[in-house]
Amino acid sequence: MATRGSGNFMRLVSDDSNASTLTEDFGNHQEELPSTLPGEQEQLPSTLPGEQEQLPSALPGEQEQLPSTLPGEQEQLPSALSGEQEQLPSTLPGEQEQLPSTLPGEQEQLPSALPGCHRGLEEELYFSRKWDPNLPLKNLPLSMQEKRKTREQRQQSRHIIDCCESWRRSQQHMRKRLREQVARVIWGLQPWSKTMHKIEGKFGVGVKSYFTFLRYLIYLNLLHCLFIGGLALAPALLFRDKNKPSGLTANESRGALDLLLGTGFVEHSPVFYGFYTPVSIPHGGLCLNTPLLFLAGMAAVLMLSAVMELRRTVIGYKHTWLLGNRYNLHMCYKVFCGWDFCIQDPNSARLKHRLIRNDIRLELQEESFHQRVSQRTFRQRLQLYFLRGILNFLVLTLLAGSFSLIYFATHISNKEKEGWILPLLYEYLPSISITVVNVLLPHLFRRIAAFEDYSLTWQVNITLVRSIFLKLATLGMFLLFLHQKDLTFVKTNQPPEPPAKLNSSKNCWENEFGKEMYKLVVFDFLAGGLNAVLLEYPRKLLVEKYPSCSLVKAIGKQSFLIPFHVLDLVYSQTVTWVGLFYSPLLVHISVIKLLLVFYIKKFVLFHCCVPAQRSFRGSQSSVLFHFTLLLGLLIAVVTLSFNVTMRTSSQDCGPFVNYSSIFNMTSSCVGTLPSPVQRTIHYFTSEAFALPLILAEIVVLTSFVSQGRANRKAIERLKEMLIMCSADKRYLVKKHSAWLRTLKSSVSAGTCEDARPTALKDPSGFQPLLLRSVSTP
Amino acid sequence: MGTTASQLPKEMLSEYQELTFLTKQEILLAHKRFMELLAKEDRSSRSTRVPMDKILTMPELKSNPFRKRICNVFSTSELKDGSLTFEDFLDLLSAFSDSATLEIKSHYAFRIFDFDDDGTLDSGDLENLVNCLTGETDDTRLTPEEMRQLISNILEESDIDKDGTVNLSEFQHVISRSPDFVSSFKIVL
Repeated sequence: MATRGSGNFMRLVSDDSNASTLTEDFGNHQEELPSTLPGEQEQLPSTLPGEQEQLPSALPGEQEQLPSTLPGEQEQLPSALSGEQEQLPSTLPGEQEQLPSTLPGEQEQLPSALPGCHRGLEEELYFSRKWDPNLPLKNLPLSMQEKRKTREQRQQSRHIIDCCESWRRSQQHMRKRLREQVARVIWGLQPWSKTMHKIEGKFGVGVKSYFTFLRYLIYLNLLHCLFIGGLALAPALLFRDKNKPSGLTANESRGALDLLLGTGFVEHSPVFYGFYTPVSIPHGGLCLNTPLLFLAGMAAVLMLSAVMELRRTVIGYKHTWLLGNRYNLHMCYKVFCGWDFCIQDPNSARLKHRLIRNDIRLELQEESFHQRVSQRTFRQRLQLYFLRGILNFLVLTLLAGSFSLIYFATHISNKEKEGWILPLLYEYLPSISITVVNVLLPHLFRRIAAFEDYSLTWQVNITLVRSIFLKLATLGMFLLFLHQKDLTFVKTNQPPEPPAKLNSSKNCWENEFGKEMYKLVVFDFLAGGLNAVLLEYPRKLLVEKYPSCSLVKAIGKQSFLIPFHVLDLVYSQTVTWVGLFYSPLLVHISVIKLLLVFYIKKFVLFHCCVPAQRSFRGSQSSVLFHFTLLLGLLIAVVTLSFNVTMRTSSQDCGPFVNYSSIFNMTSSCVGTLPSPVQRTIHYFTSEAFALPLILAEIVVLTSFVSQGRANRKAIERLKEMLIMCSADKRYLVKKHSAWLRTLKSSVSAGTCEDARPTALKDPSGFQPLLLRSVSTP
Repeated sequence: MGTTASQLPKEMLSEYQELTFLTKQEILLAHKRFMELLAKEDRSSRSTRVPMDKILTMPELKSNPFRKRICNVFSTSELKDGSLTFEDFLDLLSAFSDSATLEIKSHYAFRIFDFDDDGTLDSGDLENLVNCLTGETDDTRLTPEEMRQLISNILEESDIDKDGTVNLSEFQHVISRSPDFVSSFKIVL
């Protein structure tokens, strides 16, 4: 950002450098006004070089104001003179004759002089300004004809360049064009650009940002698919020992139920961890085996998503936090970037008008709200804090309740049941309870926040924060309970002879874990789909059929609540990451799921939703989206590393059967390497390396922080400089006009014998105008 | 020129590609749409102007509160009547295209918002701008009190050199910090 800031500053500077030509214009204009100002010309160039930016505003302002004030001047004159009439009956007519002759003369002169001056300025600014010759022509804000002229000028100047240079330039040009073409082709390959365009036109940029986020998640998961497919699935399929059983015995098949529960044939498919067996790849040496590849695949996927998420978050963060927060620019954004030019539908346009109006009013109200806050009495404040305390306690209770619900659901789901629907229900109990909690509580939070007397934006934010916390915490709690359950389970079932009732697959806790995640993903999808078909669509039908019914009116059509929908996505992605290790094909399932979700949401949006009442800023939200996603990733990594380090891998299934923990595998691999490599690796993993690394990081960080501070100071100083510059300008203009007035008065004193009519002698009636047009706030 | 009325010569096409941010397809589409606005007998000449009223019937501009300003800014007509030639039309689409830079977009946005064409946004311009945003009718407008408060807020936020108006560089300074702007300042055929 520092370079950008300095770029802007440079632009200011370069604008100033144009001033020399502009002062000529101004000088000419001055020459035309009073014909008897000999010293004027010498003085002007010295005062005006800084003027240039002011001129466009000052001159036309004058142009506008002159005709309006001059009549006033003329009206004033007779009244000022009325007292004199008796004394000077002979001089007055002459005087009055003189006036119309001088002032309207000026009036005529000015409009003729000023537009020329103005146009000259505009051309100076927009056209013959020295554009950076390396800037592509299309980057110039000029009309087509002017671009052609500029191109000719450039070509003339290019004659001097030798052929080597020109060849180099043309090559550069070609490469650039090729790059643009490729970028454009890739851009064109992006799916759903038509749909996005339509959404943008109907619902605005905010809703589109949700769909872009969804598309981004699909890309991310596709990339994951590639890694998993290449590093885990393909070797496992290729080098699989066909004769050896995978350590799991097959259950009786239950068809569709298996698909939903992840049991039976699904359990023995590559979807789950148990399918992957340790095989060393032929001709691959000791190190190259499927477990290592499996581990590498997982690590690559997690690293990749971490890097991508960090990048995205940082980009957005830079925009909003670093600059947006320190300089408050709400109103400017609302006004300057308020209109969405993509909107084509007249209805949406009407809606957008309303939205902007409400938004602005809201902002203004918020300002008065803050005023009200500062006027609260001690008693009121105490009451409010008490209320907030209670409500926060309520929120905590709700959270605790949902956690205990999940806890019981996790434990109950353990019990075996007969029949078709009951086991399904029981197995899905944790998923159902998590989803129900996640669907209901955010709406409750929204209601609660309304009572807390926060400002409106703060209300939205606090609801969002609570919902994020809820989503991620429920998942975290579920994982914790699952872990506990497994531990107790393992403890009770470790004894030599496992009870006959239990499947041997129960010995493979990794599979169980994977299955839970699988169920979460599947149920999340089912809930979304059913919600669309059973709730949203009937609601819409109801609203359309009985538009007059008061109850239906109260329900209304739903608006697309972007934050909550995004939270759903974040949640499902987090589950995917958590389950990744134990159910590698979860990413593939995720891709399919997200694709379907895209179409479902599109359907819901176009058929069942009305555009939201409150606008949602795209950029701001995308930071939030990616930040929450990053949090989700953090949860996934923590869970995974916890599982990997604290729990021994099961001895009956999975690629790590021969190792007590996963890291043993890597160390045994390292053992086969030649000793110098071994030593290097040992060095890199030892404390001897970690300490200098941390020190180096501290040094780098410190330098960055201090650089940031210095930049901030520089920004402050540049701002001060700008204010000083403009104050200088105003001072000089004031000085100049004052000087002009004295000159004028002395001139008119010279021409009129009578020195008294001072009212007349202010024919520099235009003179304070110059001042006014510049300094009016 | 030599070709049929509704065809663009190849050299023109490549020149337009060089001078604008538009792709070949976009230029051809723009040409097609522009020709639809013209009467049949006018289609042969390249410098025929389409009056502003006709341009404003396009669905892309119809609902836009700034449509007249847009035409005025991009018009090269001597009469200042907002009529557009095909090249002006391409300029318009180029500035509003997906690939136009922030610099270009903010520059044209400034000129569109500068209702009195005086090179700065003063309080009159801002009032016009806000009225355009909230809707032109009386009952949709802000009250004078709200308007006053709003304009003073805007100036307080964006007027860095405290001269009472927002000039181009101040405007670009504000815009450059709003990543939303590029995605919303867009008109695609």
